[in-house]
Amino acid sequence: MIVVKDLRKTFKISRQQKREMRNTPGVGADGTVEAVGGISFTCQPGRIFSLIGPNGAGKTTALRMIATLLKPTSGSIEVAGIDAVKHPQDIRRQLGFLTGTTKLYDRLTPNEIVKYYADLHGMEKSVFEKKREELFTLLDMNDFAKRRIGKLSSGMRQKVSIVRTIIHNPQIVVFDEPTVGLDVITAKNIIDLIRRCKQEGKTVIFSTHIMGEVSLLSDDTAIIHKGKLVFNGTYSEFASQMQGRSIEEEFIRLLEGAPR
Amino acid sequence: MKTILTVFKKELVDSLRDRRTLVAMVFVPLVLFPLLISISSSMLISHEKKAARKTLRIGLVANGNAAGFKEMLSARGDVKLSEGITPEEGRALVRADSLDAVFVFDAAFDEQVAALGAGKVSMYHKSTENSAIEKRRARSLLDDFEKALRETRFASLAIDLSIIDTVDMSDENLASTKEQLADQIGGLLPYLIIIFCFTGSMYPAIDLAAGEKERGTLETLLTSPAGRLEILLGKFGVVGLTGILTALVSIVGMYIGIRQSHEIPQEVVNAILGMLEPTSIALLLSLLVPLAMFFAGILLSLSFFAKSFKEAQSIITPLMVFIIVPAFMGLMPGISLNATTALIPILNVTLATKEIIAGTINSGVLLEVYASLIVLAGLSLCVCRWVFGREDVIFRGV
Repeated sequence: MIVVKDLRKTFKISRQQKREMRNTPGVGADGTVEAVGGISFTCQPGRIFSLIGPNGAGKTTALRMIATLLKPTSGSIEVAGIDAVKHPQDIRRQLGFLTGTTKLYDRLTPNEIVKYYADLHGMEKSVFEKKREELFTLLDMNDFAKRRIGKLSSGMRQKVSIVRTIIHNPQIVVFDEPTVGLDVITAKNIIDLIRRCKQEGKTVIFSTHIMGEVSLLSDDTAIIHKGKLVFNGTYSEFASQMQGRSIEEEFIRLLEGAPR
Repeated sequence: MKTILTVFKKELVDSLRDRRTLVAMVFVPLVLFPLLISISSSMLISHEKKAARKTLRIGLVANGNAAGFKEMLSARGDVKLSEGITPEEGRALVRADSLDAVFVFDAAFDEQVAALGAGKVSMYHKSTENSAIEKRRARSLLDDFEKALRETRFASLAIDLSIIDTVDMSDENLASTKEQLADQIGGLLPYLIIIFCFTGSMYPAIDLAAGEKERGTLETLLTSPAGRLEILLGKFGVVGLTGILTALVSIVGMYIGIRQSHEIPQEVVNAILGMLEPTSIALLLSLLVPLAMFFAGILLSLSFFAKSFKEAQSIITPLMVFIIVPAFMGLMPGISLNATTALIPILNVTLATKEIIAGTINSGVLLEVYASLIVLAGLSLCVCRWVFGREDVIFRGV
């Protein structure tokens, strides 16, 4: 379970950025910009939590804080009962993180990359071998297991990324816009993976701005805009209170109605 | 420790598969460097041989004097004599490289010599690095003539020529061959090795920090349970190791280059190979290890700071000046290893190596060099850790 309480993150900006963003809301007089402004939500095991919002809304920053890549300015994150700020390494042991920006080493092979991350997670050799075999067969990866990443197609790479993310059988899986820029077939692999994680009882949190994915996958939904949540509830609640004709329209309606 | 080794092994494999690293680490020191030694020494020696063998083009404005000099020149097979020119024409011909030298004898030269005085002669020449040998040969022609005149004069006065010697000095150089060698070319070895050590660690440092940041693989790595310090130490180890390996490969390259060049005189070959004896190399390596770690810390810090591979390159390349200048200072005469210079990084390695080769190293000062390098390596690692721990640096531009 992930419990996020009043999570806030501010970044210092350069003088030039300060000049450029003088009249932008959220930019403080002290030269800081608030990327996430006090959000709270809970993600339950066996459910998919989708965090949706437009570009620059604060999704990636929030997920990076959950993945302990960034430290919150204030607020708290508890993952499986562990404080993410105090024990970041313990969190990362239980977490798989996949984003459009987490890439792979071009000069290594899928076998080498997956083994590397398994070693970093301290997996035992026999457990690793079994899991590797299972995932490589499931995703039909054995044919290119020994080819360098630089020579693989984007679909093949994405499969390697998936295996890299879940090789250590994490209980928490974070996906940050995982299907951005992918073709339909490759995106389907990701969707299948997210569903599979849910079936296995994992806590899944994913961010997207593709509304189709939200309706397809979400159990719980939060909409973030300019660092603040404008909706937080189950997807059914979201769908039942819809005033727009489609999810897209409802999403835009909520953003336009949000305080500036 | 296990995590550090895991990161180290992966980074090493990744770096050794990078063409740029391989070029800097293997191709340049092992192929290009020996080839350059071979070509440049061949060119230098063939130029010297050519200059020593070539027919000298000498202009003579005798003004009716120095018949003996003209005879002497005409009798030589390696001199082509030009006469009937004025001093101005002589100057112009030397300037235009049509003549190597012109001798202009004073109109009263013979009279001055006959009166037991010194006859006046002017020599026009163009003295540059390229024409030094020709100038020396032309000057020796006049020296031979002067010697002949002196012998004639002393004979006519019935005086033994040896009377002009007032001091009979015997020159005895007590510096050992090793000491002389260390002084003349001893600084060259550490100079080259330091440069190779730096360039060898440059590409892996850029690739493993700024490169990873730009490609998005650093963020992936940071999501693993590996601690920041463990990741950093793995990378730090690889960058330091590639620097040391490049330096070692450059020593092999130097050895091959010198062995392959048949133009270099045997005594010079022996002298240089004498510097590459195992004890000197071992001591140099022991200095190189903390120096390579110092380089690794600086290079990784700057590379982490940069947004992209290109930006890291443009930040790091000018840094070469700070490596070359102190390394070069160690080659200059008058700068020796003492309590102060032992604290200056890079310069201290060059100077200490010179003394190690000469066999005159003072163990106290050597310890100071080690201490200074170890402290600097530690400091550079601390700076690197601080940089790597900063969110605004690691996620800068991501």
